[in-house]
Amino acid sequence: MLRGIFLSILTFIYLLAGGFVAGTFGALLGLGGGVLLIPFLVIVLGIPMHQAIATSIIAVIATSSAGAAINLERRIVNMRLGMILEIATVAGAILGGITANYLSSNVLTKLFSGLLFFVAAIMVWRARLHNGKETVYTNGVLPGMFVDDATGESVLYTVKKVPAAMCVSLVAGNVSGLLGVGGGIFKVPAMHILSGIPMKAATATSNFMIGVTAAASAFIYFAHGHINPFIASTAALGVLAGSMMGIQISRKIHSNVLTWVFAVALLGISIQLFLR
Amino acid sequence: MPDLISISDNTQHDAERWTSRVLRLGVWVSASLMIFGLLLAALSPISIVPLSMNPSLGNLVERMFSFTFDPVTLMFTGLVVLMFTPILRVITAVFGFAAERDWRFVIVSSVVLFMLVGEIVYSVFMRR
Repeated sequence: MLRGIFLSILTFIYLLAGGFVAGTFGALLGLGGGVLLIPFLVIVLGIPMHQAIATSIIAVIATSSAGAAINLERRIVNMRLGMILEIATVAGAILGGITANYLSSNVLTKLFSGLLFFVAAIMVWRARLHNGKETVYTNGVLPGMFVDDATGESVLYTVKKVPAAMCVSLVAGNVSGLLGVGGGIFKVPAMHILSGIPMKAATATSNFMIGVTAAASAFIYFAHGHINPFIASTAALGVLAGSMMGIQISRKIHSNVLTWVFAVALLGISIQLFLR
Repeated sequence: MPDLISISDNTQHDAERWTSRVLRLGVWVSASLMIFGLLLAALSPISIVPLSMNPSLGNLVERMFSFTFDPVTLMFTGLVVLMFTPILRVITAVFGFAAERDWRFVIVSSVVLFMLVGEIVYSVFMRR
């Protein structure tokens, strides 16, 4: 009987492999693992939406913590800016986590479907917008400096429009708590476009923040009993390994084709989730 | 830009260094516990009464201190260690900024910490 509660070996392999693929492509596309992991858990494995969200939140904490440890040592993270924006993301995530547990699985699935549609649109917009040139502002606040791996040069910058970035962070945190994604898809463009932070620093700072943001709703899902230890452990380990692999690969390939392929795939998944 | 020059000073990076170490340690400890739990689940015929599939934080602490290690306890403990890792990194940041005598960011980090503690307290009371 005890064996009955354990996952079958096939489910274990599916979870580990699915997590690995979600983590790899999530890192390659700058999405984090959650956006791809949740549809996999719900559509392929038939896991209830609340449990899929809770599993994704665990995976987000794992990848954020591992990635942030590396980025902090490389001094790409603007820790002071991250701490300020975390006030907004944590507040949003707590509200999102509480709200999610009052919503039905069906409503959350529809909301997630809408999120995927939005994410696909942002991916295409970013791919078309990116021309490799960055404008750095030096008359703002919270100065940062990092060495760009590609050029070997030090990049000095400051941050502008912090209140605007906080507003976007509040929304990102809320979506994170409600739907189990990191929220980087909102924060990174906001930090880059609104606050003038170089893309690499914006991505690293966003990744640094999402662990705390996810932790802000994780205990609420835990208290509601939505964290299944087998599913969450296996998927988190898969996503963690996959995201490490994705980070390595992303240093070597930069393909807009991949972005377009996944944008179309996300639209397909969005429609499939909406029609469930 | 005097501020930009001053941030390159090594003494300004205590918070970053310690935070990085805490995150790395948290991920290693939690991943090890989860892997050990999964291996134990796959390999052993378990004789210990397993933990409930919806334990409280108190249940977990109780079982860890009584050295009752079944796969579910180990996996849940790994997951809870992982959930506490970002909180520990906020605590580290509070002390790191205090070491740098950056009191403004001690307050900012403390606000984040206060909200996270509030969330845990809410979760504990919500279960009852």
